[in-house]
Amino acid sequence: MNPNNPRPVPGFFRLVGAVWYRHYRVYQNHFTTNSFPTVIEPLILMLSFGWGLAQVVGNSMGGLDYLSFIAPAQAMMAAVYTSAFDESYGTYFRMMVDHNYDAMLSTPVSVSEVFWGELLYTGTKGAFFSAVVVAVLSCFGIIHSFWAVLVPVVGFFTAIAFGSLGLFAARLVKNINQFNFFISGIISPLILFSGTFFSLERMPAGPALVAKVLPLYYFIDVSRMLTTGHFTDDLYIAIPYMVTVPLVMGFFAVRNMKAKLVQ
Amino acid sequence: MATKPLIQARQVIKNYDDFRAVDGVDFTVQPGECFGFLGPNGAGKSTLMKMIYCCSPRGGGELSIFGQDPDKSPAQIKNRMGVVAQTDNLDEDVNVTQNLQIYGGYFGIPRKTLNEKIQELLAFMALEAKATAGIRELSGGMKRRLVIARALLNDPDLIILDEPTTGLDPQVRHLIWAKMRELKAKGVTILLTTHYMEEAHELCDRLLVMDKGKVLAMGKPDELVKNNLPAYVLELPGIKKEEVPLTGTLQVELHGDKLFVFAAAPSELEKVALQFKGQLRIRTTGLEDLFLKLTGRDLHESE
Ligand SMILES: Nc1ncnc2c1ncn2[C@@H]1O[C@H](COP(=O)(O)OP(=O)(O)O)[C@@H](O)[C@H]1O
Ligand SMILES: [Mg+2]
Repeated sequence: MNPNNPRPVPGFFRLVGAVWYRHYRVYQNHFTTNSFPTVIEPLILMLSFGWGLAQVVGNSMGGLDYLSFIAPAQAMMAAVYTSAFDESYGTYFRMMVDHNYDAMLSTPVSVSEVFWGELLYTGTKGAFFSAVVVAVLSCFGIIHSFWAVLVPVVGFFTAIAFGSLGLFAARLVKNINQFNFFISGIISPLILFSGTFFSLERMPAGPALVAKVLPLYYFIDVSRMLTTGHFTDDLYIAIPYMVTVPLVMGFFAVRNMKAKLVQ
Repeated sequence: MATKPLIQARQVIKNYDDFRAVDGVDFTVQPGECFGFLGPNGAGKSTLMKMIYCCSPRGGGELSIFGQDPDKSPAQIKNRMGVVAQTDNLDEDVNVTQNLQIYGGYFGIPRKTLNEKIQELLAFMALEAKATAGIRELSGGMKRRLVIARALLNDPDLIILDEPTTGLDPQVRHLIWAKMRELKAKGVTILLTTHYMEEAHELCDRLLVMDKGKVLAMGKPDELVKNNLPAYVLELPGIKKEEVPLTGTLQVELHGDKLFVFAAAPSELEKVALQFKGQLRIRTTGLEDLFLKLTGRDLHESE
């Protein structure tokens, strides 16, 4: 017996960091393997839209050429997909198949540290992949401003928001097939109606307002300001939204996981 | 004993919805003790272990570990504890050493100390040759040893092992027992669940037998047997209860298709054996007999 164990209990941020590090080590190879589709997808979209749709659309989206219009949205889509998948399917597997959370939770790590660590990690990935997309697209001359270096910051918050949605899905599904509802029913519509491929000005006012409140519109809006260098007054809403909403969503997602894991 | 108990459980309860998995369990564990839990599948052993390692809130009663309440100070308790859960839960995508590095991070162990500790534990669990092996390359026994090594990273005062040797071959089992004895000699308190009576007998100072969430018996292994069963037993396969006249100190129990006849003296059993012209299989009673007597039902309904 070692009655005066000298090692103090690590603090919240230290443990969040330990969980982040775990994901970084375990999924390190994902950065390289997942980078491939992250690079390829925008390239394919550029080719397809560049040859086809872009010529029809012309400069009708907020006065921008179409490829410049969708470029920032693609950076955000990379962040959305990586985080939504990681925190839904990934969490489900860690929870039900590999029992990784059981391992973490039998150490000083608590449920909030587990999932804040995960969200921080998914945010990191979101930042990384949106940076990759911006880098790729800048080769096509459709990134017009040096402010675009800040797009990964937006990607970070986008990924935390969508990672939180993924966590809700992971909590709710009864089996792996039900994730299809999450992807087709929630993620896809959010991507299609958030000023991604067309400007919200083209939607009726009511639906447009709804689309603006839902997560993603403002993330794309800010990214577009950064890649075009054309800033609007929206910035005063978008910046607080971008920081607050993911944290609030994260807070509820983590609380929700507590109810699932502590039984 | 004058020392303060390391674990104190009083009327501990756990409900899963309407189902009561642990139903008013009382026990205390002293520092340095090896305390074992026996019970059929579904008895509530793992549930009880999870409450002790602060991963499952209790539904009632009092529980203290290191004098602290798991509801109030889980991190403090878990910081001094090593856990080997029933199901292996290694990080399959990284190698043996990285698994230990990652886990050490959860205790905030500084890098240098951690790496030294990892070397020491890989040697302790005879895994040095596998330091850079992937988890999928490991045999079941190696994985289990790695999980045990992992549970020792923080120099725990208490280690909880939920069926540490189930499904492992005898060599690995004996290796693990030897390591448990080494830990015990160092003063580490051990909590163990097992289905192997030999394991319980070899390692445990005291045992608790439970079923359906309730304690059936508790005590030192030999005394438990002595207090609950006559000293000798005769096994008679294929014989019915009614066929044995209950004279003297004779007692009978049927498990499966085998009749167990107990008596205080071997001479009494010899007479019975002659009656059935069976081979003389008279032996002294042991933990397994006790276990079957306490938890035995002809068909275990939870299976
Ligand atoms: N998370 C859970 N939800 C509902 N029932 C559970 C849960 N975990 C265990 N049980 C039930 O509690 C009982 C005791 O299980 P357990 O503690 O795993 O037993 P043991 O480890 O002794 O085999 C079993 O009937 C099991 O089905
Ligand atoms: Mg069990």
